[in-house]
Amino acid sequence: MRGEIVQRVVEYISKEIVENPDEVTVTIVEEGPDEVIAEVRAAKGDMGRVIGRRGRVAKAIRVLAQAAADEEGLQARVEFID
Amino acid sequence: MASVEWVEVRGPSVEKAVEAALTELGLESRDEADVEVIQEPQRGFLGLGGQDAVVRVKRKERSGSGGRARRTRSGNGTGGRSAGSKPADGGPRKDAAPRAPRESQARNSGQRTATAPRPAAAARPAERPKPKERPPRPPRDDDDREETPIEEQSADIRRFLVGLLAAFGLEGEVKERIEDGAIHIDVVGEQTEALVGPKGSIVQAALELCRTIVQRRTMDGAKIRLDIAGYSERRREALRIYTTRLADKVKAEGGEVMLEPMNAADRKVVHDTVAEIDGVRSFSEGEEPRRSVVIAAE
Repeated sequence: MRGEIVQRVVEYISKEIVENPDEVTVTIVEEGPDEVIAEVRAAKGDMGRVIGRRGRVAKAIRVLAQAAADEEGLQARVEFID
Repeated sequence: MASVEWVEVRGPSVEKAVEAALTELGLESRDEADVEVIQEPQRGFLGLGGQDAVVRVKRKERSGSGGRARRTRSGNGTGGRSAGSKPADGGPRKDAAPRAPRESQARNSGQRTATAPRPAAAARPAERPKPKERPPRPPRDDDDREETPIEEQSADIRRFLVGLLAAFGLEGEVKERIEDGAIHIDVVGEQTEALVGPKGSIVQAALELCRTIVQRRTMDGAKIRLDIAGYSERRREALRIYTTRLADKVKAEGGEVMLEPMNAADRKVVHDTVAEIDGVRSFSEGEEPRRSVVIAAE
C-alpha cells in the first residue's frame, strides 16, 4: 500500500502522545499519483495533545510524515480531523 | 520552504568538506549533488600553514520538485549545471566565503561591516528565528504529573526513538547518556541519515516530539540533546571551520564582523573557536532570539 510508512509513523507518534492510544486512527487517502493524506483521528480530549501548543506537535508530526513519505518517493499531508 | 541550491564549505579534506556541505544541503549522498573542488587541501607543518580544502557543492536539479522555491544566481557566470563538472582549478581562490545563494550580498562588494556573510555551515532562515527557550510552565492545580527521575525520562525517550526507527523501518541504534543534568541521545547508524533532513529539520522535529513525550509524564523535563547520524556534531565542526576562516579574515583586515543571530549553543561554539585564535576577540550583541556574535580585531 502506498503511504504505508507514512501511516505507520504518524500512527506510532500519535499513539505515543495521547492518553487513549486505542482511539487513535490514521487513514491514508491517496490524493494524486505522488501524494497521500494521512487523516488523524483521536479521542476528543486528545486532539489538543496531538496538535500541541501553537501547533508545535502537529508541525513536528508533519515533518516526520514527510520524512516517511520521502522513503516512498511521495509527498505527504497530515490532516487532524476533529 | 526555500531550498538552498549550493554552498561552499571548507574542511580539512575534500571528503570532510563535501560531507559537511551535503549535510547543509540536506542531501544524503554525493550522487544528489554536483561537487566542484575549488581548492585541494595542502598540508602544513605541524598543522600550521596548511590550507583547507574548499568545495562548492550544488544540489542536482530534480524533476518534479515543483513546490520548491528556486533561485538562480545572477551576474556570476558559473550558475549553470556545468559548474559541477568543472575540474579543480588549482590555485586558491580569493573569494571562497561560504554563502547560501539566497544571500543577496553581491560578490566582491567588499562589505564587511555589520552585514555579516551568512555562514553556510550555520545558515538558518533569518525570517524564522529560533523561538526563545520556553519559560517553565506554571504548575496547575489539576496537574497529576509527578517528578520523574531523569533516568526514566531518558529511558522513555530511548524507547520512543527505538519505536520510531521501527515505524520507519530503519536500522539504527539509540544511545543515551546523562551528563551535566541533561539527557544526551545519539541515534546512530547509516540508515538514520534519513532522519536528518534539510538543516536538521527532522532532528528538530524529533526533538520536539521527545520533549512532548517527557512532558506528558513529568512537570519539569530535563534538557534534551538529540543528535541523529552525527548531524549536530558535523554541523558544529562546520561552524568551527567557518568561524576560523572569518576570524582569520578579521585578523588580517581589521575591523569587525557580525555573524547572523544564533542560539546560545552555537554562539558558544563561535566564542570558543575565536578564543583559540590570537589577535581577535568575540562578544555577543542584541537581544534573544536575535543575539549575534561579533568577531573583532584586537
